[in-house]
Amino acid sequence: MNKDLNIYVLIKQVPDTRSKAGVNADGTIDRAKAGKMLNPFDAFAMQAAIDAKAMGGPNSKITAVTMGPPPAIAILYQALEHGIDKACILSDRKLAASDTLATAYALSMTLEYVQAKDGPADLVFCGLQTTDGDTAQVGPEICERMDLTQITYCEGFEIRDNLVHARKVIEGGAMEVEADLPALITIANSYNRLEHKTFRGAKFVQEVKRNEAIQKQFVEIIDLADCKAEDSRCGLPGSPTIVSATWKIGTVGGSCKMHQGKSVEELVGEVVNINQETIKEFAKA
Amino acid sequence: MATKTQDKIEQNTNKKQEPITYDLVLVGGSPSNLTMAHRLCELAKTKPEMHISVAILEKAEEFGAHIVSGAVVNKTIFDKAYPNHIADGMPIESICKESHFSILSENAKWDVPSVITRAALPDFVKDGYYVLTLSAVVEWMAETLVTKANEIPNITVDMFPGFAAHEAIIENDKVVGVRVGKTGDPIEDNVYASIIAFGDKGFLSKDIIKHFNLEGNPQLWSVGVKETWKLAEDTPCMKGKVYHSLGYPTLDGTLGGGFVYGLDHKRLTIGLVISLDSKNPNIHPQKQLQEYKKHPWLQKLLKGAELLNYGAAVLPEGGLASLPKQFQTNGSLLLGDALGLLDMKSLAGVDKALESGYLAAQTAFDALQARDFSAETLSTYQENLMHSPFMDKFKANKYFRKAFLDNPELLSEFSPKFLKGIELTQIPLIGGLVGPLVGALIVGLSNPIKAIMQTIDVGIKMNSPGDVKQEIVYKAGYKAINPNFSKELIKRNQGRQEFNKSTIYSREDAVFYAQTKYIEHPEHIDEFSSDTCLKCINKYDAVKLDVPCVSDCTAEVHRLDISSEGIKVHGMSLENCIQCRTCELICPEQNLRVNPAYAGAGPDFRGL
Repeated sequence: MNKDLNIYVLIKQVPDTRSKAGVNADGTIDRAKAGKMLNPFDAFAMQAAIDAKAMGGPNSKITAVTMGPPPAIAILYQALEHGIDKACILSDRKLAASDTLATAYALSMTLEYVQAKDGPADLVFCGLQTTDGDTAQVGPEICERMDLTQITYCEGFEIRDNLVHARKVIEGGAMEVEADLPALITIANSYNRLEHKTFRGAKFVQEVKRNEAIQKQFVEIIDLADCKAEDSRCGLPGSPTIVSATWKIGTVGGSCKMHQGKSVEELVGEVVNINQETIKEFAKA
Repeated sequence: MATKTQDKIEQNTNKKQEPITYDLVLVGGSPSNLTMAHRLCELAKTKPEMHISVAILEKAEEFGAHIVSGAVVNKTIFDKAYPNHIADGMPIESICKESHFSILSENAKWDVPSVITRAALPDFVKDGYYVLTLSAVVEWMAETLVTKANEIPNITVDMFPGFAAHEAIIENDKVVGVRVGKTGDPIEDNVYASIIAFGDKGFLSKDIIKHFNLEGNPQLWSVGVKETWKLAEDTPCMKGKVYHSLGYPTLDGTLGGGFVYGLDHKRLTIGLVISLDSKNPNIHPQKQLQEYKKHPWLQKLLKGAELLNYGAAVLPEGGLASLPKQFQTNGSLLLGDALGLLDMKSLAGVDKALESGYLAAQTAFDALQARDFSAETLSTYQENLMHSPFMDKFKANKYFRKAFLDNPELLSEFSPKFLKGIELTQIPLIGGLVGPLVGALIVGLSNPIKAIMQTIDVGIKMNSPGDVKQEIVYKAGYKAINPNFSKELIKRNQGRQEFNKSTIYSREDAVFYAQTKYIEHPEHIDEFSSDTCLKCINKYDAVKLDVPCVSDCTAEVHRLDISSEGIKVHGMSLENCIQCRTCELICPEQNLRVNPAYAGAGPDFRGL
């Protein structure tokens, strides 16, 4: 029998890959205009947290933590719908333009804040990376700050006798590792897909949205001062990464054209026509 | 309030969970159920001391995503149930400014002159009616419901898109809840309520009707297939134009008709409704819709147009005679399509569905006050609905289906002959009324007595139902299917060779336009016995016809596979399913059952 596990899962709201995001003059994404979604990698991390809770003792619990502007609370509601017990968001204007170093600092301070209230972590789960940053650095950086055992690229795990037995994806295969708790695990997208939200969770979130008292109890909104983070180590001042310039490197995909949604006959006709045109062009050249 | 909050907090954190309960659970995000919830909000305002909790289950991922309908609707019901619907931004595609009743032969179209339509076929006059995309209206109903409920402190309305009811829970002859999950733990899987309102299209309501022995006549079902198109810039505007058609392409004696509605933003909706009590084992609904579009009239409209969406749904068309004996049981109410409130003759069901929701709300409200949920107390709903003026036409048109069942040659024999006359209307000089007159002459010459008798009988049943006084007895649609159905008649439905390829889509392509999405491995259709399927396959193989489930599937689900022993077996590609339930209804052996899928999976009909 494993002990009760205190589990944290770090999640992030990212621009929706299915929506069209605007591009600012400086080449950065206009995040305000883009649709929003839960970082797809974090959905695997959330499932890992749910699975870990089931392996722990009967009083195991999961807290979802995020950092972002106030609308990012939507992904915390999503987490609660999936049966995650509590949630916390760090939201502060001073966090704008944070790089991985500043983000990891701010999130580790947030984790310290929630741990002080809800107890020390046994497990922290992160998605492998985000779809907007793609660095895969924040998880490991937090791990180093918090001095936890680190397991990255995990695609399956078990907790036996209060030890984590994990399978990591490595080039050309998989590696089995065993680690002590507490540990931070980044979850690969070959892990189990996030299950459908629970009815009880969906019901609860609607109560939370209606009732401020319940909301305060389950979704905590904090700023840098609350978690005692130093302003100078956050946001632009705390980010040594310098983006000197961005430029358009050309149209991705070149001349690739998708032919879809028509009858097979028509599609074949279209492709044949293209080929004939290409042949003619080659002949001319 | 503090105690209540504390309770909730404990509920979410404690391991020992309480059962999930509501005062009212609505099964299906249907127009009827959403109207019931809207009305209940209004009623709740009149009793601020009474608290009402409501849950609405919707099997689609979003409200409206599994709704497909015509839909041309009498605006009167919206004035009653949603008096502020214009100010509240209800999406209305157009207001019908001209409605036509057209007879189609293979090459010609005869619009019945409006004087004749108005006098003889008033049900087809839709001027002033709303032309709606019902999926969009349902989405609007759901959104405005949340806003409305949030403003009324004594009612809570929880919306559950992505959660279907999979099973009714009946205890001591009372419906007490529904199962929504599949973990195996009843505390997590079941939702309980004092009243459950079923507004579904038969998925679960059929079990209620069977369990409580409410069925009088079996329901007669038809299948509707529909596409929405974006017209080319140079095509004349069709907004506000409504066409209903008979004739081509359904020429095999099956009752069926087409519809073409002009929508906003240069879009056009084209659909075909075919009765599932056809004798023809292979009606191919999706293919028939393609045949419909091959007609020169539609070919012209669709020149340069682009297909946007495809969808299909079944329609309960038995009318008054197929209504369940009771509209309520202990603890439950049946609404809209669960009852079968479609009046096939006037092609109108949405108005009565909304009225059923509106009236059910009053009954539920009264029952909640009295804390009495017996069938007897809930029977005010049936009484009020049957006395509603919205039901007048429905009652008057009760012989519509019987008229055609009693006079089958009208569709199989005389209609194709009449169309030969209509074919003449394509020649402008002898168009107008000459074509129909020649058609009538051809019919008259072929079998004058029978033709006249059948026409008169249909005329009386349609127009003077009060004089008929005949009992209506239906048999279930699948019983009509005849494996020895005439190959000649089947051929009639396989029409024109001249058409623009870009207007015609295979069934495989159609699935793409229904935007089906199944994340989990779907297993929502039960096949009860593979032996039964084998026997059915052999039976249809012997007469060189397709098995009905394979031919009549509106998507690309049912198929025949060759087993390792080299025999044909029934297989299903469930990830293509658009959940119309046609296969279940036409299975000659009643060997299939279509259940709602889990996790909001299925088609996305938004735009239909």
